Amino acid sequence: MNGIHDLGGRHGHGPIDIDPEQPVFRSDSERRTFGMFILAFAGGHFNVDQFRSAIEQMKPAEYLESTYYEHWLHALETLCVENGTLTKKELDDRFEALSKGTH
Amino acid sequence: MPTLFPTDMLDGLIKTGGSCRVNVNVKPGFAPGDAVTAININPKTHTRLPTYIRGKRGVVMRDHGAFVFPDTNSQLKGEKPQHVYSVMFEAGELWGDAEFPKDKVLIDMFEDYLKPVEGK
Amino acid sequence: MAADHDHHHHDEYRPSEISLRVKAIESLLVEKKLLDPVAVDKLVDAYENKIGPHNGARVVAKAWSDPEYRKRLLGDGTKAILELGYSGIQGEDMVVVENTPEVHNMVVCTLCSCYPWPTLGLPPNWYKAPPYRSRAVIDPRGVLKEFGVELPKTKEVRVWDSNAELRYLVLPERPAGTEGLSEEELAKLVTRDSMIGVGLPKTPN
Repeated sequence: MNGIHDLGGRHGHGPIDIDPEQPVFRSDSERRTFGMFILAFAGGHFNVDQFRSAIEQMKPAEYLESTYYEHWLHALETLCVENGTLTKKELDDRFEALSKGTH
Repeated sequence: MPTLFPTDMLDGLIKTGGSCRVNVNVKPGFAPGDAVTAININPKTHTRLPTYIRGKRGVVMRDHGAFVFPDTNSQLKGEKPQHVYSVMFEAGELWGDAEFPKDKVLIDMFEDYLKPVEGK
Repeated sequence: MAADHDHHHHDEYRPSEISLRVKAIESLLVEKKLLDPVAVDKLVDAYENKIGPHNGARVVAKAWSDPEYRKRLLGDGTKAILELGYSGIQGEDMVVVENTPEVHNMVVCTLCSCYPWPTLGLPPNWYKAPPYRSRAVIDPRGVLKEFGVELPKTKEVRVWDSNAELRYLVLPERPAGTEGLSEEELAKLVTRDSMIGVGLPKTPN
């Protein structure tokens, strides 16, 4: 698709943030998201092309404003719901419970 | 079919990975040295043919062999294995008024993304 | 405080929202017996602490020291890299491209973040973000300047866009004044950025 991810040759994205001391993972959320993607992929939940496709379908502004591993999280949630592993309600309910501290 | 990937197979997974190469006998349509044009398609679904390459003319540098085709695989419409070629495009061809027109971009093109240069 | 912080976020609550979403999906997948959290721990350890550019540096050092290995590396990257024990996820089909006095190579993935994990580890954030991905193919020399590299106008720049499943590693030119150095000493000069093509190797002292 002619999506926001198709960035080659585009202007206006600003200077490169080189940040030479950056860690491999900036948070536990990034660590867990990384591991979950590999295991879900290896466990046959989706193929890599479906994974990339799911990321490409993010809302353009969200894609640009979110971090790299947030793209992965979006794809994981989307594909787990699409393939019937989880429902959106289950994800929302668990989110609610965790935010209230009741899970 | 979503399954739990067994933890005791993890070391093997990391070492082996999962190549998308397909060992089937697919006849290549192009060879190194061929002048090619990237086709102009604009699918609403997943493709690995970037916008900036479409319609541009390049030269095949290398045939990497056959791989799973992402355009169909992403839609669960089959692997459609086909040759992937390293194709060289000149900066002047891609960008028009390039400051260094002889600089190059090399990109991996699936067979389905290519046609011979017009008029050949 | 939650370390999800990314400098372009204006909403201070957003980081903890991400953390909760991650916990939600992980806890559900674990409960449904579709994910082992211990496996997640092991994967994180492998890529955070073990697999990294020191691997690729050994490959480069060997190519600098051994002309026959260099030939094999340029002919079949996957096989030659495996000789040193490196292989696997996101490195199954490797292509090594050599810098010469005439040509400087640079690698990008304009569409996402494809990168040779077994030799370089996981990519830095800048490699995966829009500024590098957009500009590498249209203004490689401008990008190189941002990394502190200025190339002579007579050199040709080749940018490799890793849009399929081949993964690319740059074999930098061996720096002058390194005659007689051991492979181990040579490997110390090979930076990650030189193997992506946005930097040059260090010079001895």
